[in-house]
Amino acid sequence: MVFEFKLPDVGEGLTEAEIVSWLVSEGDTVTEDMPVAEAETDKAVVEIPSPVNGTVREILADAGEMVPVGNVIITFNVEGEDEPPIEAETETEPEKPAEAEKAASNGESSAKGGRVFAAPSARRLARELGVDITTVVGSGPSGRVTDQDVRAAAEGGKDGAQAAAEPTTEPEAEPASDTTESSGAQAAVSMQKPADREKTLAAPATRSLAEELGVDLNAVPEVEKREGQSFVTPEAVREYAAAQTEAKQADVASLAATSKEDERVPYRGIRRTIGKQMERSKYTAPHVTHHDEIDVTDLVAMRSDLKEEAENRGVKLSYMPFVMKAIVAGLKEFPYMNSMLDEEAEEIVLKKDYNIGVAVATDAGLMVPVVKGVDQKGMLQVSQEMNDLVGKARDRSIARSDMQGGTFTITNFGAIGGEYATPIINFPEVAILGLGAIKEKPRVVDGDIVPRHIMTISLSIDHRIIDGAIAAQFANTVKNYLENPALLLLE
Amino acid sequence: MVVGDIATGTDVLVIGAGPGGYVAAIRAGQLGLDVTMVEKNAYGGTCLNYGCIPSKALISATDVAHNAANAEDMGIHADPVVDMQGMVAWKDGVVNQLTGGVEKLMKANGVNLMQGTAEFAGENTVRVAHGGEGQGSESIEFDSCIIATGSRPFEIPGFEFDGEHVLSSREALALDEIPEKLVVVGAGYIGMELSTVFAKLGTDVTIVEMLDDALPGYESDVARVVKKKAEALGIEFHFGEAAKEWRKEADGMTVVTENEDGETSEFNADKTLVAVGRQPVSDTLNLEAVGLEPDEKGFLQTDDQCRTDVGHIYAIGDVAGEPMLAHKASKEGHVAAEVIAGEPSALDYQAIPAAVFTDPEIGTVGMTQAEAEEAGFEPVVGKFPFMASGRALSTGHSDGFVRVVADEESGFILGGQIVGAEASELVAELALAIEMGATLEDLTATIHTHPTLAEAVMEAAANAKGEAIHTLNR
Ligand SMILES: Cc1cc2nc3c(=O)[nH]c(=O)nc-3n(C[C@H](O)[C@H](O)[C@H](O)COP(=O)(O)OP(=O)(O)OC[C@H]3O[C@@H](n4cnc5c(N)ncnc54)[C@H](O)[C@@H]3O)c2cc1C
Repeated sequence: MVFEFKLPDVGEGLTEAEIVSWLVSEGDTVTEDMPVAEAETDKAVVEIPSPVNGTVREILADAGEMVPVGNVIITFNVEGEDEPPIEAETETEPEKPAEAEKAASNGESSAKGGRVFAAPSARRLARELGVDITTVVGSGPSGRVTDQDVRAAAEGGKDGAQAAAEPTTEPEAEPASDTTESSGAQAAVSMQKPADREKTLAAPATRSLAEELGVDLNAVPEVEKREGQSFVTPEAVREYAAAQTEAKQADVASLAATSKEDERVPYRGIRRTIGKQMERSKYTAPHVTHHDEIDVTDLVAMRSDLKEEAENRGVKLSYMPFVMKAIVAGLKEFPYMNSMLDEEAEEIVLKKDYNIGVAVATDAGLMVPVVKGVDQKGMLQVSQEMNDLVGKARDRSIARSDMQGGTFTITNFGAIGGEYATPIINFPEVAILGLGAIKEKPRVVDGDIVPRHIMTISLSIDHRIIDGAIAAQFANTVKNYLENPALLLLE
Repeated sequence: MVVGDIATGTDVLVIGAGPGGYVAAIRAGQLGLDVTMVEKNAYGGTCLNYGCIPSKALISATDVAHNAANAEDMGIHADPVVDMQGMVAWKDGVVNQLTGGVEKLMKANGVNLMQGTAEFAGENTVRVAHGGEGQGSESIEFDSCIIATGSRPFEIPGFEFDGEHVLSSREALALDEIPEKLVVVGAGYIGMELSTVFAKLGTDVTIVEMLDDALPGYESDVARVVKKKAEALGIEFHFGEAAKEWRKEADGMTVVTENEDGETSEFNADKTLVAVGRQPVSDTLNLEAVGLEPDEKGFLQTDDQCRTDVGHIYAIGDVAGEPMLAHKASKEGHVAAEVIAGEPSALDYQAIPAAVFTDPEIGTVGMTQAEAEEAGFEPVVGKFPFMASGRALSTGHSDGFVRVVADEESGFILGGQIVGAEASELVAELALAIEMGATLEDLTATIHTHPTLAEAVMEAAANAKGEAIHTLNR
């Protein structure tokens, strides 16, 4: 039986996701819950698990493709069903010949007439490795399935991404003689990167042809494997040479047209999600940004006192937990700062949780892990959890749930540089606090100019909910706590 | 006596020591399982005792006599005398050597041998009734069981085997006197093989067959070669006639047949051989005790690992379905034993070869041209007649041909039909080609010894490619 798997709703409100990579290839055996693909949603890369036990029949979306939720992305041949896998639509169900009846009636094979063109040793290997050999595309003569093909199919998980990116031929397509030819041709055209082998088998005539055309044989995509070595044909050499010339001409043409090469990067995945989110926030919530500076000289001293002790307890203590605690104190005083606008119900929801998001710049873009219940946790615990989440966000192993449920966000733009900024609210929250760098600056204290540690802040608010006065008062509270960090002990 | 007996335990119980069962038992023993074999009759089953081996022994022996007597063309004049008792004794010697070998091999692999008739008493128990008065019975408890009880000849109403007038193949193979007149009912492969034996021994053979050709299941041009030779040996065919009844006569018997229109014919004979097919032995096992039910023909249904619907019970060989052939039984025995031992074994062969030891022989494997078309291929065929083979002519046996069926596009060998001398051996090359996924190119590019009959396979492949040297291309 063929099971069609639709892209599930991997997160609330999600309408589409990018297939980042496939972890399986066609013909692979999968078990229920085994991850088959990685999809990039909102702000995380999630693994999509197989819903069934079976083998991968067809992969219907390319890696890198945006797929709407509900679209079929992969089909499986499901185990334990009597029906043999469905034949390619164009083919009529073959009558089983008497001799092959046994094999065919076992749902063993979807190949024409119940035939699998492979040596018994390859068939046994397939059984040992749990590969459904009828779905393996053969690279041997006339498309015969070799040991290597079976091994490659078994390891599909590892080079799955690559394999899935170029699903060469339909597995059910007849074991046609041109399988190798066409994949060779495809490879020659699509592969900009030369094959780069050390040794290549070819007939002497092929070698001289390569020389004539100025082609490095080791760069020509392999047509088939012979005795474990890559073998190339004259056609493959010609195709490769043609592709190279074409590519060069294309380069020359585009250079002539623009003189500078513009690069086009797909607006996708996390980048696009961030973009959409920012757009929505900026154009939905009228932003007002309140700037101020905080003298954190005492905080700097306190932190350096506590740092060693924290380290003894295995925690790297940054300023962030202090800021978070100060914010929570402010939020408690100004509950509207910790709210959300339910536009539909026309109600402002005052949140009772104090879940503080910390915006993190990652290679993939901005991510906001959320430390939950900051009000209920000690400084070290907050610190520890934040460090963990930030680390996970950076290596993109963070779970979606760890980025959801925030009530207020901090963005530390100062980590990179700059005094002030205009943070954009992490919608549907109503405020965001941006932190500048802590720098020593000359300040007047009791009539003297003394060096002080100064942190700048930029607080953006949704002016629909929060007035400038509240913003300023909230900022003052935060400021008060950070200037007199001993007050944090009371929190 | 059931009271007081203690069940013996075993990992694997094998019922029936034919080519399916004994192979399964030996393989399971090799894989370290504790195996018990129950056989009610003789080790080696039908194949070694009453089937393949004795029939082939007699066929070869009669060929020696027949060929010697018919070699005037070669300048040989001989009038061999066949001592039927001597021939049967020699055949029995062959059989005994083989069955003894099977017994030794089973013992050497640690198989516990037990004489008796097994019957299920529960999901994990059989009772074994030992033959003979006062021999009693005992229970065996097993984890897994392999049913390999084989098949027995069909009887037709009114022609119950009596060992004197109405014979089954088993009794025909044990005759120690050459009958003068023999009626053979059924022109399938067993009927044809035994008819040939007796015809060559000088018996007047008449074959009555309900269908309208000999060797149903084989293509007509293949069957025709065999039928022609049979007629040349003096065998008389009556098609479209079914055996109806028989009467004892002072000088033997009269067999009455009836055609579709109800017209009857009568044939006089010493004996009648009924060879109308075989039925699986599944009715004597008390299968209800394990919850198994055979299909309407009596076969046990199995999956590609020889498993029945009851997970720990396996069935192999003739009892598990067509084709009823010894090598198919052995292959399944292998698989069943390995599956029980936890190996990733399965039946995934592409084709099962079959041979008929008529004169000339038939060897077939894989698809015919028609089957290949039905399966969605665009088949191309190549043929080579033995008349064009140097080796065939030099042996004096040049009837028949080799035909190779391949997929035109890819060149993959899909099947082959051979009728001619040594066809049973030659077909092995095509079977290997099919299993290996070899192409016409592979066959033609392989150097074949000259002069041999095997060259005909290469030539037929070349013919399919339109490149034959020794025949005109198609
Ligand atoms: C005349 C003739 C010629 C043949 N020629 C060929 C040939 O050339 N090539 C070929 O491939 N095949 C040939 N066959 C067919 C071949 O003999 C069978 O396919 C093969 O023997 C099947 O093997 P098996 O193991 O399934 O069963 P069998 O060989 O039938 O063995 C079954 C065994 O089980 C035993 N048994 C049954 N029930 C019980 C029970 N309840 N308890 C204990 N033991 C039991 C029987 O005594 C028997 O020994 C021929 C058959 C005949 C009759």
